[in-house]
Order: sequence, then C-alpha cells, then structure tokens
Amino acid sequence: MFRTIQIAGALAIFLSVAGFEQVSAQEKAQPLETGTFHGKVHNTSGRATIYKEADGRLLLRLTNFKTSNGPDVHVILIAAKDADDDANFLKSSTERLDLGSLKGNEGDQNYNIPSGTDLKKFQTVSIYCERFNANFGAAPLEKF
Amino acid sequence: MTIHASTWLGRRKWVLAAVGLPVLIALWWAFRPEKLWVNEKVNEPAPFVSAGEPQPLFTGRLEGKAHQTSGRATIYKNPDGKLYLRLTDFTTSNGPDVHIVLARSDDNGLQQEIVKGDLDNIELGPLKGNQGDQNYDVPASTDLNKYRAVVVYCERFHAVFGLAGLETF
Repeated sequence: MFRTIQIAGALAIFLSVAGFEQVSAQEKAQPLETGTFHGKVHNTSGRATIYKEADGRLLLRLTNFKTSNGPDVHVILIAAKDADDDANFLKSSTERLDLGSLKGNEGDQNYNIPSGTDLKKFQTVSIYCERFNANFGAAPLEKF
Repeated sequence: MTIHASTWLGRRKWVLAAVGLPVLIALWWAFRPEKLWVNEKVNEPAPFVSAGEPQPLFTGRLEGKAHQTSGRATIYKNPDGKLYLRLTDFTTSNGPDVHIVLARSDDNGLQQEIVKGDLDNIELGPLKGNQGDQNYDVPASTDLNKYRAVVVYCERFHAVFGLAGLETF
C-alpha cells in the first residue's frame, strides 16, 4: 500500500513537472510596449516594440525600419515621453541608456535591453548620432 | 628667375598638402558623407518565430470621441491566413446597439462625433463587452489598405464612441 502511494506520488510529481515544462515551452515573447518613429533631423520611420521573452529578458525590436545612414549612430532609450527634435533632450541632462550601435539603417533588427531597466522611466527610443549629439528620430512608446 | 618661382610654388604646394590632407581626412572621418548613399540593410528574425503563432499586422491606440474610449486595437493574421481584430486594455461606454466596425481612416464622417448619413464600413459584429480583451473575426475580403480605422460605433444614433487609426506593426 505504502509502495503504491510512493509510486503514485512520484508519478504525480513527474507528470506535473512534465506538464509545467510543456507550458513554459509554449510561452513566447510578449509585446509590452510599442510606438512608431518620427524623424526630423533625418527621415526616420518604422516601429519600435519592446518584448519580454519567455525567460524574462527584455528585447527591443525595430520593424519596417528606415533611417539615414551616418557616422557613429546608436540606438538609445531616453527618460522622456518623446523627443521632437535635437533641442528637446540633448541640451538637458536627460538620462539615456545605450543599447548599442545601429546594426543597419534599414530593416528589422533586435537589441538587448539590460535586465532591471525601468521601462516606466525610459519611455522613448531614439536613433542617436553620438558624434554630433543629433537625434535622427524618436519613437515614444505606449502600452501594447 | 623662373626656377625660383617654381620651387616657391612647389614648397607652398607641399605645405598645403601637409596641412590640407589631414584636415580633409578628419572632416571625412567626422562626417562620413559617403554614408548618405550607402545603405546597410539587415533582416533579423523576430524573437518568437514560430509558424503556429498569429502575427500582428496592424496596431493602433483607441481614442474617445462621443464617449471616453481607450485601449489598443491590433489586427492579427492566423497561420491559416484568417484575420482577426483583438482589443486589449479596452474600455468604452456601454450603450445601445454598439458595434465594432472598420472604416476608412480618411472618412470625413469620422471627424464628427455623430456621423451624418451612412458610414462606409465593414461590420465586425456587436460589441461583446464594454471592458476587457476581446477578439473579432475580420472578413477575408477586407481591404486593409483602405479600411484602416477601427471604430466603436453606435449604429442606432450613428455615434462614434471611439476610434483607432491602424498603423503597420
């Protein structure tokens, strides 16, 4: 009797673990926030979406993306609601978070966002030319 | 005399070159003007590529018109090709005979809270609930290049409760 309970218990644990694994494998990246680019200094268009991957990591994805090519262009998050033009955030001491060099001025691309990034604070994606402190274009993010 | 002039010219050329060339190189490095014509195209896959998942095609924020309305409207394409509209974080006012329809985003009728005459629209069905996430089938024949606005529409009073312009996802 005790042995049967043991086997049943082990079986139950195995099944629940297997079932749980199946569920987590089915999980996919969820869009958290999204916004469209507008560009003033250089024509910039497309969409920026922040995804939360199944393992909890955050990822920024640009789609239908197009901007001007330039020297030393980076993708950054800025602690502002939006950035209309250069003057808006570059003269102030707005906090910025570098996500890396722009991979290409056209096409779909992904950037890792450091874990622990406060998305309530960083609400805008900017295509930013470090060398000339220029904002090529910005996308204010809204809840998906 | 002529020899002297040519050496003077020659030296000046050298000085010009010695100063000018580094300046030109520095300017080129700083501005990289050739990049204006050179495109770098990339095509990274989405983080969740799996053929079995619906893909978002268009999305937009709902804004209130005659009644306070908020949330997000997204059109997804199922792997089998079927289209559906999903409303998330959705809130609107309850009312009589309220429907979800697609309309032309440039339709002048949508400028007003009450549409005069008939609104050119594609019916997606009566509003399932005035709050919460919900899905609506979009007819296969729908031209989404033309009907780019989601409207929460009271058919009885021709009232635009709220609407969302759809943009490419």
